[in-house]
Amino acid sequence: MKLTRMTPASLKNKTQLVFMAALLCLGLGSLYSLPLSAAVQTEDKAEVIAIVGAKIVPVTGQIIDSGSILIKDGRIVDLGANVSIPAGARVIEARGLTAYPGMIDSYSWLGLEEISGVRATVDNRETGRVNPQVKAIEALRYDSMHIPIARANGIVAAVVAPSGGLISGQSTLIKLDGWTNREMVIKESLAMIIELPAIRRSRGGFSGFRGQQPQVTTEKTLDELRQIFKKARMYEKRREAARKNSLLPLPEFDEASHFLLPVVKGELPVIFSVHADKDILQTIKFVQEEKIKAIFYGVEQGFKVAQEIKEAGIPCIIGSLYSLPPVWEDGYDALFLNPVILNQAGVKIAFSSSSASTAKDLPYQAAKAAAFGLKPEEALKAVTIYPAEIFGVDKLLGSLEPGKTANIVLADGDLLELGTKIQKVFIDGKEVSLENRYTELLKKFEQRETDKQVNK
Amino acid sequence: MILFLLSATWLLAGGDLLIKNATILTVTGGVIPNGDVLVLNGVIKQIGQNLTAPAGVRIIEANGRYLMPGIIDTHTHIALSGTNEGTDAVTPEVTMAEVVNADDTSIFTALSGGVTMVHTMHGSANVIGGTNVVLKLKWGKPSEELIVKEAYPTLKFALGENVKQSNRTLLPGRPQRYPATRMGANALIRTELMRAKDYMATWDRYEQLKKSKNPPANLFPPRKDLRLETLADLLRGKLIARCHAYVAPEMIEFLNLSKEFGFKIGAFEHAWEAYKITNELKAAGVGISVFIDSWAYKMEAAEGIAYNAAYCTKKGLLVSINSDSGERIRRLFNEAGKAVKYGLTQDEALKLITINAAKQLGVDRLVGSIEVGKQADLALFSQHPMSAYTRCEMTIIEGDVYFDREALIKKRAGASAQKGGLS
Amino acid sequence: MNNHFKKWQPALVRPVAIAFLIMVLAASLLDPAQAASPEVKPAYALVNCRIFPVAQPVIEKGIILIRDGLIEAVGPAGKIQIPEDAELIEASGLNAYPGLISAHTNLFLEIKEQAQPATPEEYMAAFSQPAEPKEFPWLQIVEKIKPKKQTVETYHRVGITTVVVAPHEGIFQGQSVVLNLNSDQIHGMVLAQPWALHINFATERGVYPSSPMGTLAFIRQKFYDTQHYSQHLQKYRQSPHFLKRPEYDPFLEALLPFVIDKKPIVFQCNNLEEIKRALKIIKEFKLNAVLTGCNEAWRASQQLKSASIPLLVTLDFRPPASSVYAQQGQAIREKAEKEIYPANASNLVKEKMNFSLTSFGLNDTDFVKNLRAAIKAGLPADQALRSLTIEPARTLGLEKQLGSLEPGKIANLILTRGELFDEKTKVVKVIVDGTVFTYEEKGQCEKR
Repeated sequence: MKLTRMTPASLKNKTQLVFMAALLCLGLGSLYSLPLSAAVQTEDKAEVIAIVGAKIVPVTGQIIDSGSILIKDGRIVDLGANVSIPAGARVIEARGLTAYPGMIDSYSWLGLEEISGVRATVDNRETGRVNPQVKAIEALRYDSMHIPIARANGIVAAVVAPSGGLISGQSTLIKLDGWTNREMVIKESLAMIIELPAIRRSRGGFSGFRGQQPQVTTEKTLDELRQIFKKARMYEKRREAARKNSLLPLPEFDEASHFLLPVVKGELPVIFSVHADKDILQTIKFVQEEKIKAIFYGVEQGFKVAQEIKEAGIPCIIGSLYSLPPVWEDGYDALFLNPVILNQAGVKIAFSSSSASTAKDLPYQAAKAAAFGLKPEEALKAVTIYPAEIFGVDKLLGSLEPGKTANIVLADGDLLELGTKIQKVFIDGKEVSLENRYTELLKKFEQRETDKQVNK
Repeated sequence: MILFLLSATWLLAGGDLLIKNATILTVTGGVIPNGDVLVLNGVIKQIGQNLTAPAGVRIIEANGRYLMPGIIDTHTHIALSGTNEGTDAVTPEVTMAEVVNADDTSIFTALSGGVTMVHTMHGSANVIGGTNVVLKLKWGKPSEELIVKEAYPTLKFALGENVKQSNRTLLPGRPQRYPATRMGANALIRTELMRAKDYMATWDRYEQLKKSKNPPANLFPPRKDLRLETLADLLRGKLIARCHAYVAPEMIEFLNLSKEFGFKIGAFEHAWEAYKITNELKAAGVGISVFIDSWAYKMEAAEGIAYNAAYCTKKGLLVSINSDSGERIRRLFNEAGKAVKYGLTQDEALKLITINAAKQLGVDRLVGSIEVGKQADLALFSQHPMSAYTRCEMTIIEGDVYFDREALIKKRAGASAQKGGLS
Repeated sequence: MNNHFKKWQPALVRPVAIAFLIMVLAASLLDPAQAASPEVKPAYALVNCRIFPVAQPVIEKGIILIRDGLIEAVGPAGKIQIPEDAELIEASGLNAYPGLISAHTNLFLEIKEQAQPATPEEYMAAFSQPAEPKEFPWLQIVEKIKPKKQTVETYHRVGITTVVVAPHEGIFQGQSVVLNLNSDQIHGMVLAQPWALHINFATERGVYPSSPMGTLAFIRQKFYDTQHYSQHLQKYRQSPHFLKRPEYDPFLEALLPFVIDKKPIVFQCNNLEEIKRALKIIKEFKLNAVLTGCNEAWRASQQLKSASIPLLVTLDFRPPASSVYAQQGQAIREKAEKEIYPANASNLVKEKMNFSLTSFGLNDTDFVKNLRAAIKAGLPADQALRSLTIEPARTLGLEKQLGSLEPGKIANLILTRGELFDEKTKVVKVIVDGTVFTYEEKGQCEKR
């Protein structure tokens, strides 16, 4: 069989198809021989690491007061109170420390923003209203100074999201370790970001200043989206038809429609940034009508419609709690009580830093909600297993269980507490450096003591 | 005698309370588990166990909750009708004490985070901005009653990017304001202070001539210039400088200016690079008022490190944590709590928002710790204030309760759906 | 002689008669006084009306005599002798009140709404020129007034016969004038020119002072400078030898009468803090001051009482953006507009304070609506009347001429069918400076 010019007619030949498929599989197979992370391993893959004597908080199981965790090939192979340590294992003494799963930040600008006031270093906002073609992974500065700082506080993975306009682009899920942005990818295209209007602030409010009134209502915006989605579906139909029948002209390339196809087909979820209670209800209706997969972000007035969100089965990423409630009547603690009420109503919640420079504050966002009534175990879940479940990576991330990726944090206390010091962080079974911008500069200027003595 | 009576009447204006069974974080005298605090006429009268109060005094059952001194924020812009006179680069004549706005809802926001006192300031748009004012957050009281007269009178200076307007787009037809560089800013301070010195000399000459045996016929007083009067007050020691500075060279050079003209510096604000020059700051006896980790928003904040506050404390500087924000002010206790991660103990971290702040403002005789004789500015927390899991439950100023979460919750439960406003 | 005369007469009669007629015609045509000169006004006697003199108790059935624009007599029927030459105006079933005075308006000024920049070009243009400082202490607002007959009639219909027209731009806004709404010819309307210097705690944009604290420092510095300027001028006049001559400064020249000679200054106060700030400056420079706006006057009642400063209280109940009631949500904001601010006047009455009410910020319909709301909120009707008659007359220094129905005062009055502040009441006749304007229920004004 010779490789003839590929024509639709010839491709219909089944034998040829099978042959092509086989070639493809072999090719891909060689590429896929490595696990999720293609990071350069400093240790031998076959080496076993044993963390012994730690208190273990698996998140999805009982807390083990003193136990061990075995790591091999980047995975947790065993954990428990009585785990036998194989000979030749590298033992890490962890008495007095607590082992947690690494935390997952459900919405950040890590790698897209260095100095927020210097535009040249900011890449999170594209210009224009409809930009589904834009992908956060392609701008990710993996050597951002904020990433090691977040990692040093126990965050091992983060959603990096573009922002701005109506359809901001495709967010990505990365692990906070890798020599290039591609090495950090967990899910290259995680979810489309769509931003709906902010809450219409009444004058004054908490900050005492007049709030900014959004130009368009959510109702109008959803109408606009409906039209855009409709156009995408129509585009797809026409392209499909043209593919099947070469006599039909190809419709003009429409980038927006093209990149929205996975969304309208229900394959790529959408993270809706939505805020006011009425807007949340309208968006739920929209999601159900359009039959798309949705996650909500922000949801400042979610507590008012918690039941409806629960029934719709839509998970909620809580926006930064480092804000004032936009509506005075909701009460000074509305933003803090919001995740508590949602959680109690059965909504799956996850916390976010919504930042780059304070991404390390993710655990304290969770603790803040706990201060206002969220059960501490739920707060911990909302930065570990719940985000993993929301983003469909819970088979490998979000808790300490055999078979899962070895993303482990060893802390000298409660992971969500302010004073806790992180001693070690493992990502993909590799111990990662906790050196960061803060420690580098500190060490440099601690030198001054010795220098001064010499000079004086 | 009159002063005594006047002060007594002022004291009578405070409230009476007995707080029972609290974990008392005195700040200057250790922790008293299961202690009581008796407040009469707004002053802490007794601290101990099993205290009794006169009849009619409100009793607050702490049930083991944590009582700390009211939090003091040394750098805010709340409770003012304006922030910046951002036109001329030198406007020391503007007086923030004249634009106190007791109706600002940010006062309530701050109270909900245990803050009882603020040093509220002119902004950082100008090299020399204006005089500032220290307020107690007595929500609902008229503006005059908020002003803390005992505090150091301060004059706001600012250096760096805000003053250079380097983060603004230049509008057509509007020339770049002088100074556009850091050297211009320092030169401007120097020339204005020299001008103030001349102004003082002119007035001195006039006074001399007026008193002399044969004053000349054409003797006429100089023009009173409010701008130069204020600078003269700085040189006379009647005002101390509070200088917004980020990078180390700004602080070094400002220290030099203070030596050159003999004025006192209260503290550097923000001082992100203070860790680089702890020796110089220590030698000059100048403290800092900083964030814990809000950094990387401007180039001059790009080398800020979260270890700054803790490291400088360990090097012997007087350090306070501030909010500079109507939002962050209500989690100032969390910000201080983070300092534990970066090297301080919980007790040391607590000082950053209490006694250290009081010292910087010159009111440490009155507030900043729980001691007999001090004003009863207190905050009650559900957990240790340095814990991430804590929340503020009650805020008390001079024995009067200004924020009461329990009462607020009850009110919400009892009110109709149309609730608005404050307790 | 007789023959001679008889012979002369017939021939001359016709031409002389014609010449005479021509002269008479010419005289009547050429007489310029017809349209503009003050006509000889009739003397009037209003009879059988119910009179509210304000300075005296109500007269159930009384007579008012008006001559040459002034009130000649006021009294109960039977006590007053109606002069022969008086034109009778039957006023049975009508109430007579002194004409209302609104001591703060921007009437007859063509104020252009500052359009918000809509396009990016407009936005940039708004910043592109260095903003001119808008200070006009020398401005005589009377020069900008364009009286309109329509407006006069509208205000008559709500009972207002005297207004202060005040300038409205900048911090040092300019000098106001007091007008009688007797026509649309400005010169005949002026009662007092100028009345006062108006100061508002506004800010400049892009130029110093652009902040509230900057404005306060600016005002103070100007007052100090005025004092210094005055001292310098005085000294120079006494003895210019070896003395540097004072440099002419139009700003300070304009301030001299008010800061040094203590002519009245009006401070506009839109909230509690501005009242306090104004009081401080007034005390510091010992000014002869009046406060206007004063929507939150009740909150500063103690300080205002001890300062004993005349108040011009607005009936505009909209909470300004800086108001505490505008910052705690929509519910409180509405409550402020419907309940809290309308109760301002009645609270002042409870504190036994005197004040005037003004229509500042309102059109005629809202003025009446809000006045009724203030009365509903507890302001006694007779106090409301005083606050619109004798109190503003006193504040304006015109109490000898206006504010009550007394002999010798200017004949400014209104005749209403019904009690003055009732909903169904209509103003039927308005007399200003003795000129009678008749407003029937539906219809046009008849001026006599």
